[in-house]
Amino acid sequence: MAAYMSMGEAHRRITEYLNRFYDAVSSQDGKSLSRLFSISSDSSLQFLADALNTFQDANRIIRQSESSQYADIIVPVFRALQSYRLRNLVESYLAFEKVANAFVQEFRNWESAWALEALCVIAYEIRILAERADKELASIGKSPEKLKGAGSFLMKVFGVLAGKGPKRVGALYVTCQLFKIYFKLGTVHLCRSVIRSIETARIFDFEEFPARDKVTYMYYTGRLEVYNENFPAADHKLSYALTHCSPLKEANIRMILKYLIPVRLSIGILPWNSLLDKFNLTEYNNVVLALKRGDLRLLRHALEEHEDRFLRSGVYLVLEKLELQVYQRLIKKIYLIQKQKDPNKAHQIKLDVIVKALKWLEMDMDVDEVECIVSILIYKNLMKGYFAHKSKVVVLSKQDPFPRLNGKPVTS
Amino acid sequence: MNQGETDQTITTLDTKSAEQHQIVDQVHTSSYYPPNPAVVSWSTHGENHILRENGTLSNPSYLHDQRVEPSSRNVRDGMNVSSIASTSNSGVANVAQSYSSYATYPNTDPYGYNSSGYAGYYSGYQQQSNQYQPQSNQYQQQSNQYQQQSNQSYPQPVGAYPNTGAPYQPLSSFQNTGSYTGPASYSSTYYNPGDYQTSGSYTSGTYGAQTNLWHGGQYAEYNSNQYASYKPETNAAYSSTAAIGTSQYQQHYKQWSDYYNQSQTEVSCAPGTENLSVSSASNLSSVPSAISAYSASNSQLPAPYTLSWRPESSSSESTSLQTGIVSGSIHEGYWKQGTPALQDNYSNSQPPHVQKPLDANPTYGSFQNQQQSTFSHGSSTLYLVSPSSFQTISQPLDSRRVNKPIPTNPRIASNLALGVPKPDKDSTTASTDSKPAYVSVSMPKPNEKELSHDAADSVLKPGVFPNSLRGYVERAFARCKDDMQKAACQIKMKEVITRATAEGTLYTRDWDTEPLFPLPDANAVNKEGGQFLASISSSPKNKRSPSRRAKSRWEPIPEEKVDEKSTNLSYGTVKYGGWNKQFSAGKTENKENTFSTKFSFPEQKIQNNNATRLAKRQRLSNGLNAADGETSSDSDKEQSLTAYYSAAVALADSLEEKKRRENRSKRFDKGRGSRSDNNQLKAKKMGASNFYAKRASAVVVGKNFEEKGSRAVEDIDWDALTVKGTCQEIEKHYLRLTSAPDPATVRPEEVLEKALLMVQNSQKNYLYKCDQLKSIRQDLTVQHIRNELTVKVYETHARLAIEVGDLPEYNQCQSQLRTLYLEGIKGCHMEFAAYNLLCVLLHSSNNRDLLSAMSRLSAEAKKDEAVKHALSVRAAMTSGNYVMFFRLYKTAPNLNSYLMDLYAEKMRYAAIRCMSRSYRPTVPVSYIAQILGFANLLLTTEESDEKDVDGVEECVEWLKAHGGCLTSDNSGEMLLDTKASASSLYMPEPEDAVAHGDASLAVNDFLTRSLV
Repeated sequence: MAAYMSMGEAHRRITEYLNRFYDAVSSQDGKSLSRLFSISSDSSLQFLADALNTFQDANRIIRQSESSQYADIIVPVFRALQSYRLRNLVESYLAFEKVANAFVQEFRNWESAWALEALCVIAYEIRILAERADKELASIGKSPEKLKGAGSFLMKVFGVLAGKGPKRVGALYVTCQLFKIYFKLGTVHLCRSVIRSIETARIFDFEEFPARDKVTYMYYTGRLEVYNENFPAADHKLSYALTHCSPLKEANIRMILKYLIPVRLSIGILPWNSLLDKFNLTEYNNVVLALKRGDLRLLRHALEEHEDRFLRSGVYLVLEKLELQVYQRLIKKIYLIQKQKDPNKAHQIKLDVIVKALKWLEMDMDVDEVECIVSILIYKNLMKGYFAHKSKVVVLSKQDPFPRLNGKPVTS
Repeated sequence: MNQGETDQTITTLDTKSAEQHQIVDQVHTSSYYPPNPAVVSWSTHGENHILRENGTLSNPSYLHDQRVEPSSRNVRDGMNVSSIASTSNSGVANVAQSYSSYATYPNTDPYGYNSSGYAGYYSGYQQQSNQYQPQSNQYQQQSNQYQQQSNQSYPQPVGAYPNTGAPYQPLSSFQNTGSYTGPASYSSTYYNPGDYQTSGSYTSGTYGAQTNLWHGGQYAEYNSNQYASYKPETNAAYSSTAAIGTSQYQQHYKQWSDYYNQSQTEVSCAPGTENLSVSSASNLSSVPSAISAYSASNSQLPAPYTLSWRPESSSSESTSLQTGIVSGSIHEGYWKQGTPALQDNYSNSQPPHVQKPLDANPTYGSFQNQQQSTFSHGSSTLYLVSPSSFQTISQPLDSRRVNKPIPTNPRIASNLALGVPKPDKDSTTASTDSKPAYVSVSMPKPNEKELSHDAADSVLKPGVFPNSLRGYVERAFARCKDDMQKAACQIKMKEVITRATAEGTLYTRDWDTEPLFPLPDANAVNKEGGQFLASISSSPKNKRSPSRRAKSRWEPIPEEKVDEKSTNLSYGTVKYGGWNKQFSAGKTENKENTFSTKFSFPEQKIQNNNATRLAKRQRLSNGLNAADGETSSDSDKEQSLTAYYSAAVALADSLEEKKRRENRSKRFDKGRGSRSDNNQLKAKKMGASNFYAKRASAVVVGKNFEEKGSRAVEDIDWDALTVKGTCQEIEKHYLRLTSAPDPATVRPEEVLEKALLMVQNSQKNYLYKCDQLKSIRQDLTVQHIRNELTVKVYETHARLAIEVGDLPEYNQCQSQLRTLYLEGIKGCHMEFAAYNLLCVLLHSSNNRDLLSAMSRLSAEAKKDEAVKHALSVRAAMTSGNYVMFFRLYKTAPNLNSYLMDLYAEKMRYAAIRCMSRSYRPTVPVSYIAQILGFANLLLTTEESDEKDVDGVEECVEWLKAHGGCLTSDNSGEMLLDTKASASSLYMPEPEDAVAHGDASLAVNDFLTRSLV
């Protein structure tokens, strides 16, 4: 586009940037300042990058401008921009890291939190640039480590924000960026320290944070609870995220549902099909159906079919545990059929019957195995009753033999 | 003796002192390799520093005044570098530099230090702000007094060492003769750039010791003077040092020979060892001392420079940086003074001179720095620096001969700052108080003129010398054109000052208007110098109270230990303060630090380069005996490290390596330039009062260093350390490498192959095999052999480890195997994928790990028998399906069952709990035994009944052990009473439980298992 740009034009653009920078700082306009750092997302900065490529001696202009005292910030910004423009992402990241460090220095000195927005943009940009730089590094066979570096930088930023002043409301944003990094890197255990300080430090009042950050925070902590298989807590956090998430952000809602649905399934709450359809979560259709029908085969197929996806998102193990509920459903069905036939004997189910039912589902399980399953069901309180080994009969309680979970997790 | 020899170890005691050292060290740092061709290249080990500087970093912010006097210091081989001349405005420029900005130096830097080098060192440090303040000097330099008695030892008052005992590090200046030889012994020593004028005071938290080794070859002369006088303003910040004493240190330098002698006598180190060390590493630094703002009466002192630093750290920040040990202290005024070379009149007869404590012998030419340390706020500090050339200090700790860095405690440093050497100490006096540490002065090479001094950090009390005097001194030095002149000038200056003092006009005279004395003839001065010095020495004024000092030092120590390894060093350093005094009665000696200092003397009679050392011993009385133990162990480590590095250094000399280094240093240069500019600007703008800004800039700088530092570490070329083995022995015991591998003991690939076969066919026990395999692995590693043989070795070892349940060893192998497989080397990939899966499953309840392990499996892998099995095991376990689990147990391929063994107990217990809850009224034990895979049922029910019985019996035993309630029915069959058992089951304490929770570590148990 701007394949060719005159020196004058280039100079003008650079000067304009400097003026904008100076104006933003002197008028404490966080919003305009933040735009000046949006290297990866603000296309107008791309023109500046072209200008910089044309006009080599930008440093001189900086020195002469009113913004010269911020040269520590601006010089690397320019370098980052240029490198980014040239798709030299590692360089860009390195330069931006300098920007970030210098900015944080300044930020520390500013009493008020006016520049919080700019700091957030920097936190965001440094993460994005680090991710891209890592991609670039990986493609040339070097070890991608920039994201990790960005993580430790953001940790520092968190430290700057975690104080009593007005800046503290920015802490959650940084936390969320950290979550993103840690989840990406697979080092979620690092989340713990941040979470602890957010949740226990008195300086933080959770409600005081921006809604956007609260939703993100709840989403990630909810995911962590999924890993821990702490379903009630996961349900609480993800539900919070869902209810506070802007209804316009369908993609975000879908992400939340991706975890919330399995969590709810495992505590016995099934979603409407329309919900799955609306958010295109069709991978769960068969899972839900299997639960309704007690169709073990269907469940296994569904898991197999989407195994990669479920493994990646981390819900595979959660879904796998639904098997017990499917068994429960299956036996309940047998019970109901027996009840229709002969209400008096309905509470005694022969093991052979269950084995046969499973055979119809093409599940090849022998008596011992089924006995084990039944035993587990009783043990986990999915069935009330007992198993008589001698006669190979399940004796069900006459009262509520198949208790519903009703939002409680399967006891383990 | 010659150039090759000396080592310098610098220890920084305090953080501050440490910092100073660092500065010096930085120069040394690996990155160091001299950018300027003219300049001698140093090899520094950045790594060492880094290693030692462990996590604690304190960044003090400093203000530095630096004065660089370019004058004569040369680092170079015997050459005076022209660059010097360029820089040589002594006194002229006070540059505010941030450390990083050393680069700025460059202007003055003849040496070609690359700032980059620094970076490496600094990496650990965060510096908040460095600013230099130019100060007018209040230095008195006392001219060097050497007595030429056969000895040339002179006590120097070194810059004040911080009381805390962190002693100080000496800078070493080395003279090196022309080519740099990598000393083999080089290890872990840092180079101090003797020349390096700026000594920063840093607080480096953990930075413990630095040793500088110079190899003489390349450095012609360095003058390194570092005197840092610290004044911590906030003493409180340092927790440890309550007592701030003023300490005075004198150092006596002796010639090396003397040094050795002394060291022998006084130092526990075996003389022989020391000699070795000496010989191995020689640091020669000649430091021209540059005193900034020096008004030198002596025209001849060529390059005295003093740097004054004022680090100011805000306590809050510093604390945060540091592990909390050091709270920011504000130091005001660090001075470094490069003392001008001492000179001339020294004959280097090199008679060894031992000083004995209590010697009042005039034999010492003592330099004295008069320093008074005051805690006064930084406003005015005076240093008297004696321009003595220092030398490197090597400390042999414990018998180690190698120079080791002396660690400084940051805290201590603060204290140290307090201690000021008083002016006019005589060596004699010092000796009386305590034994003097000896410093040996190294004789300079014939051609080299400068003496290097390391000035210890001297803290001068402000107010001791009027600022105007300092200005006067500076002016005087500014006139000097070369080292000779400077030296002469210095001497002259001393005369003037001494006279003034004697007349009582020191404070009253208007130094600003005082006419400068005519430039003396250098030679003449030199001749006279000795006498002059002697006279000075005669009037000792300062005395220290050793006890006090010792105390202050020690207190901080315990904390330091925590920080680092460096602690050892720190001990040694602690006493540093006492220059000469090594012993204080009633103290135990913890360490001995020998400092070797070398001075290069201007051309004079002396033709040898000698390094002078100070040997010190320290005794600590504080019941820190524990420290001793540690010290020794640490020292061992250090030694090994040193050896290792030394080898590395040797390698580093190769051309390739040089290139690499050059590149590295270039990289650093880039950053440095701009940064330094900024710093300068800032420094100028803000007066001393503006701490805030300074700090900020320092932080930035510090970060940069950090960055660089880490990079520098990465740059270490480990490949260069690869060896090619020549050993033909098939059997070899595993011994953890503590030094660079010796090709003679490393087996080449063919032999290793045989060794592997031998192990595989061996009938011996696991311990033997493990030992052999580890040695094979080691040999493979050091030779960088990564091929199918490597995979085979690791696989073999992993399997053996699984069989005996040696999981730690297995994990090592597994992680190696993973990377090997990733590199595409063929092996039993699937088998180990299955093991890995089982391992993750069995040994961590971490679902994430499990998920990622599963998602990493390729579609192909999932078809593999072993992997499928492992996946089924996982499914059985997560669902609690015990029937399935024990079936899989029976059909496990490879060694999967060994891993499953580790989980069987838990699975059984869970199963029994489950059954006792859900079964009513009873369960036959035979059924349980069958389902839960009790022993002999493995062989299927078709086998003889006898075996069934065995299985049942075992099951009964197991049930009893776990609290099961058994009954028997009419036919005599054993039954489990489920209802009763439901409440009585328990998990017995494992019989092999050990206190530390890992039964596999229990020696006896492990041996019984593995000795089979």
